[in-house]
Amino acid sequence: MAANPMSQFNVYKIGPEIKIGGIDLSFTNSSLFMLVSLVLISIFLTLSTNKKSIVPGKLQLMSELFYNFIAKMISDTAGSKAKPYFAFIFSLFIFVLFCNMVGMIPYSFTVTSHIIITMLLALVIFIGVTIIGFIKHGFGYLKLFVPSGVPVVLLPLIVVIEIISYLSRPVSLSVRLFANMMAGHTMMKVFGGFVVSLGILGGWLPLSFSVALTGLEILVAFLQAYVFAILTCIYLNDALNLHH
Amino acid sequence: MDEDFRTRLKIEKTKISKETSDGKSNKSNFFGNAFKLSTELVSAVLVGTILGFILDQWFDTKPWFIIIFFILGAVTGIINVIRVAKKLQNSNNED
Repeated sequence: MAANPMSQFNVYKIGPEIKIGGIDLSFTNSSLFMLVSLVLISIFLTLSTNKKSIVPGKLQLMSELFYNFIAKMISDTAGSKAKPYFAFIFSLFIFVLFCNMVGMIPYSFTVTSHIIITMLLALVIFIGVTIIGFIKHGFGYLKLFVPSGVPVVLLPLIVVIEIISYLSRPVSLSVRLFANMMAGHTMMKVFGGFVVSLGILGGWLPLSFSVALTGLEILVAFLQAYVFAILTCIYLNDALNLHH
Repeated sequence: MDEDFRTRLKIEKTKISKETSDGKSNKSNFFGNAFKLSTELVSAVLVGTILGFILDQWFDTKPWFIIIFFILGAVTGIINVIRVAKKLQNSNNED
């Protein structure tokens, strides 16, 4: 076992180096675990929905729970107008959830603990929501930056502040997921290191901490996927129902 | 049996239509908002500083825009946190 708690986040190439137009497109352990998550999601959803019985079995019940959970979340936060975006938000939620959960398996790699992955997801959401806003409201979408009832003198300042606030959305979205996953996994590795260095006499205390932390991390893995999806809904709500 | 299923389906359907027409119950936003608070402050400062840096490079006015936008970013972060906190307070009062 590597002693460095940060070595679990190393990205290394698997197989030959692939370079297309100067861009490194090699297959890495990160891509491998993304693929693993995707395969697991496909297996889970195919197995659970191929029977379609009226009285659901265990697997079917699980996927129906996920479905209802997301459907209710969307109608609660963004209203009925957001129904067409169900597929996107469901895929987003289940991808982040499975990436986080696969990361909880020992010796695996946590895809979402790298800011480039979360930043990409957040930017896709951010750009998509902005485009949806402009399609739905035209240039009226810019009213989002001009709150009503503001004195004219303060307007330039408020507009700049609103623009910074709008631009900070993808940053806060991505940093939250990335920071939570990285901090949690580093902490688990540190406590694991304590167990080894304190040996059989003193190692029991950090070991019990490790067990508790594992439970906490599974909660965080679920919660962060949930937060990621619900914030997408909130941003979508801003774009669909303009109310500033 | 079939009749029973149909009535139950009807009840569920009215429930769903009620839920969607009522619009938003902010309760499920709670976790979203709670987690929002922590990073909102930092990210606004970051975005403000980056914007200032870019503007400085455009107009060749090195430290000025970065200073102004750093402060504006901090202000934005605090405003964002206040907004989220207010939302939380409102949803608490409704319950």
